[in-house]
Amino acid sequence: MTSIEERNPELQGLGRYQFGWADSDEAGALATRGLNETVVRDISSKKSEPQWMLDLRLKGLKLFHRKPMPTWGSDLSAIDFDNIKYFVRSSEKQATSWEELPEDIKNTYDKLGIPEAEKQRLVAGVAAQYESEVVYHSIREDLEEQGVIFVDTDTGLREHEELFKEYFGTVIPVGDNKFAALNTSVWSGGSFIYVPKGVHVDIPLQAYFRINTENMGQFERTLIIVDEDAYVHYVEGCTAPIYSSDSLHSAVVEIIVKKGGRCRYTTIQNWSNNVYNLVTKRATCDAGATMEWVDGNIGSKVTMKYPAIYLMGEHAKGETLSIAFAGEGQHQDAGAKMVHAAPHTSSSILSKSVARGGGRTSYRGLIQVNEGAHGSKSNVLCDALLVDQISRSDTYPYVDIREDDVSMGHEASVSKVSDDQLFYLMSRGMEQDEAMAMIVRGFVEPIAKELPMEYALELNRLIELQMEGAVG
Amino acid sequence: MGLELSSHLHPVGSFDLSDHPVPTGREEVWRFTPLKRLRGLHDGAALGGTGVGAEYDGPDGVAVEPLAAGSAELGSSGFVPTDRVSARVWHEAGQRYAVTVPADTELDAPAVLTLTGKSVDDATATHAVITIGAHSRATVVVRFEGSATLADVVEIVVGDGAQLTYVTVQDWADDAVHHSTQHAKVGRDASLKHVAVTFGGDLVRHDTTATYDGPGGSIEMLGLYFADEGQHIEHRLFVDHTAPKTKSHVVYKGALQGQGAHTVWIGNVLIRKEAEGIETYEENRNLVLTDGCQADSVPNLEIETGEIEGAGHASATARFDDEQLFYLRSRGVSEKEARRLVVHGFFNDLIRKIAVPELEESLTATVETELAKNVLKELS
Repeated sequence: MTSIEERNPELQGLGRYQFGWADSDEAGALATRGLNETVVRDISSKKSEPQWMLDLRLKGLKLFHRKPMPTWGSDLSAIDFDNIKYFVRSSEKQATSWEELPEDIKNTYDKLGIPEAEKQRLVAGVAAQYESEVVYHSIREDLEEQGVIFVDTDTGLREHEELFKEYFGTVIPVGDNKFAALNTSVWSGGSFIYVPKGVHVDIPLQAYFRINTENMGQFERTLIIVDEDAYVHYVEGCTAPIYSSDSLHSAVVEIIVKKGGRCRYTTIQNWSNNVYNLVTKRATCDAGATMEWVDGNIGSKVTMKYPAIYLMGEHAKGETLSIAFAGEGQHQDAGAKMVHAAPHTSSSILSKSVARGGGRTSYRGLIQVNEGAHGSKSNVLCDALLVDQISRSDTYPYVDIREDDVSMGHEASVSKVSDDQLFYLMSRGMEQDEAMAMIVRGFVEPIAKELPMEYALELNRLIELQMEGAVG
Repeated sequence: MGLELSSHLHPVGSFDLSDHPVPTGREEVWRFTPLKRLRGLHDGAALGGTGVGAEYDGPDGVAVEPLAAGSAELGSSGFVPTDRVSARVWHEAGQRYAVTVPADTELDAPAVLTLTGKSVDDATATHAVITIGAHSRATVVVRFEGSATLADVVEIVVGDGAQLTYVTVQDWADDAVHHSTQHAKVGRDASLKHVAVTFGGDLVRHDTTATYDGPGGSIEMLGLYFADEGQHIEHRLFVDHTAPKTKSHVVYKGALQGQGAHTVWIGNVLIRKEAEGIETYEENRNLVLTDGCQADSVPNLEIETGEIEGAGHASATARFDDEQLFYLRSRGVSEKEARRLVVHGFFNDLIRKIAVPELEESLTATVETELAKNVLKELS
C-alpha cells in the first residue's frame, strides 16, 4: 500500500483503474459486428426516425467509405472497423426516476457517484448514457419552466424535429472527415440542449457516458444551441471498463452560440487504455458570443481531439483550455483550432500536458485568420511536463494568417520535473511520489481551477493515481 | 540517418534524384513557397551556368580552392539531400569549392567571400564546403549581390572545440531568386553561430539544418530579414539534437512592408532519445509595418526524452505597438521618428548579438534604407 492510499483509504477500492469493472453483458451479445447499409437502416428503423435522417445516415456511410484515414497524428492502423458493434440497445426502457433503474445499472452509477451528485442537487439534470441510449434522465422543473430543452439526442429528434433539423449537421457537415461521416451514419445517444433567448442556466448540466459492451463503438452525437444572450455550462465525463480488444469512440459535438450568448463545454475523458477516442468537436460563435472548451484527456489508448471554434461574428471570443496525461502506451494527440472569420475576434488557447512511463503527448493546433478579420487577436500557450526519460512530447502549432492587422502570439515550453523541486519538497518530509504528484498538480492548477468543484477533486485524485509508481 | 521517425517534418534523405519527385506545392515543405517564381530550380532548369562570380578577401591561413565533382570533402558534413533542389545541386553544381581553416588557427579578421550575380537568365548551382579545424576560431562572411538565379548547398563542418561565426548576407537586387540549403555539423564542445541576413531578392528560401557530432556542442542561429513589396523570404530551420548536453538557441526577427510582402519562418527542433541534458529555445518575431503583408511563423518541437534541461519556443506577429508609439509621442518625439526608433529597437539587440563589428554599422544602415522606402516616406 502506498502512502497516498494509506491516507485516503477510499482510493484502495478504486484500484489501478478505478472504474475498471464490467457488468454482465446481456445487450452486447445480441448486437452484430461490422458496418453496412443494413446495419444503418436497422438503427434508423429501430428508432422510428424520419426519412431525412435515414438519408443523412446513408450519405454518411457512403462518405465514410470514401474518405481516407488520416495519415498524420496517431497510428490508427489497428482499428478493425469490421469488428465493432455499431449499435447496442439497452434492454431497459427509459426510466424517469432513480428507483426504476435496474440493479446492475444502479450499481454502475453508484461507483461513478451519480446519486450523490443528484441528492446534493449539485447538478441540474443528469442524463446518464448506458449502452448507446439514455435510460435515466431527469431535469429540474424550473429549467423546464424556463423553456430549456435538455434531453438525449434521440428524444430531441423525436420531440423537437423542426429545431433539430434546422441545426443538425450545420456545424460539422456529414463529410467533414472520415470519423464525422462514421458518426453521422451510426450515431446514437448524446445530448440535445436548447437554451432560449436570455436564459441563464445557473448550474452545470451533466451527462455521464459509459461504454459497457466489448468492442462496442460509442457514437454519441451532441447538439447544443445557445440562443441570443443565453448561457449554459455543459459537463461531460467519460469512463469505460477495461476490455481486452480495442474499442472505438467517435463522437460528434456541434455547438451553436448565437449573438451575445455564452457556452462552456467541460469534458474529462477517462476511457480505459484500449479505447481509440477520435472525436470531432466544433462550435460557431455569432457576434459578441463566447465559446469555451475545457478539455481534459486522461484515459484512452489514442486520443485525437481538436475542439474547434469558428468566430463568425464581430467581437466573438473563443477560449480553449486543454489538459492531457499520457501514461504507458498512451498517445494524447490533442489541441485546438480557432478560425477567425470576422473582425475584432479574439481567441486564446492554453494547453498543458504531462507525459510519463513512455507515454506521448502532442499539441496540435491551428490558428486561422481569414481575410477581412482585421483587428483579431490570438494567443497560444502550451506547456509540457515530462516526468521521465522515456516519454515523448511534441508541439505542432500551425498558423495560417491571411490578414495583416492582427496580433498573434505563441509560446511553448517543455520541462522535466526538476530535482531541485523534488528535493525541496522531500526535505519538508514528503514522500517522493507525493512530492511528484504535488508538482504535477501545481502544473495543471491553472486549468483545474476552471473545473466544477467535484471535477477538480476527481482530477486531483486521478493525478495521484497516475503518478503512483512514476518515480524510482 | 536514422530518420524513420513518425514525423512529416523531416523527410528521409537520398542522393538519388529519382527519389525526389518534382514538388507540386502541396507537400508540407513546399506549401508556402511560390514554386512558379523559382524559375524551374525545382524542376528541369539547366543549372550549369556561371551566372555568379566569386571574390575572396580575407586573412592568410584560409584556403579557398575549387573542388572536383566526387571529392571526399563533398558530403563531409553528413549532408544528404532531402528535397529536389538540393539533390539537383548535389549532382549538377557547376561550381564546387572548399573554404578551409586548419586546426588550431585563430583568424584575426573575417574571411569574406563575395558572390556577385551577373544575370537572372543563367541559372547557377554551387556547392561549398566550409571546414573549421579542431580548436580553431574563425568568422566567415558570405555576401550575395547582384542579380542571379541561384541554387546552392553550403556544408559547414565545425571541428571539435572550434568556434565559427558564419554570416550569410543576401543583399540581392530585386530580381534575384535564391534557394539555399545549408547543413552544419558541430563537433564535440564546438560552437557555431549561424547568421542569416536577408534584405534583397524576389524569392529567397533558406533550408538550414544542423546536427551535432558529439556532446557539448552549441548552436546559435540568428536571423534578420526585411521583406518589401512582392518579396518572398522563407527560412526553414531544423535543429536535430543528436548528442547529449548540446544547446541550440534560435532568434529570427523580421519586418514586412508593402503589398504582397510574405515571410515564412519554420523552426523545427527534434530532441532524440540519446540527447539527454540538452537545452533549446526558438524565437521568431515579426513586425508588420504596412497593410497587405503576410507573415507565417510555425515553430514545431518534438521531444523523445524527458531528461532535458529545458525546451521551448515562442512566436509572435504584430503591428506597431500603439502604446510604445504613444509613449514616445507624449515625450515630444514626432511620429516618424517614433516609428523609426521602434523598428531600430526591434532589430538592435539582434544586431548586437551577431557581434561582428565589421557588419554592425552596415546592417543598421540597411535597416534605415529599408525604412526610408516605405514607412518613413508615407509620413514625410
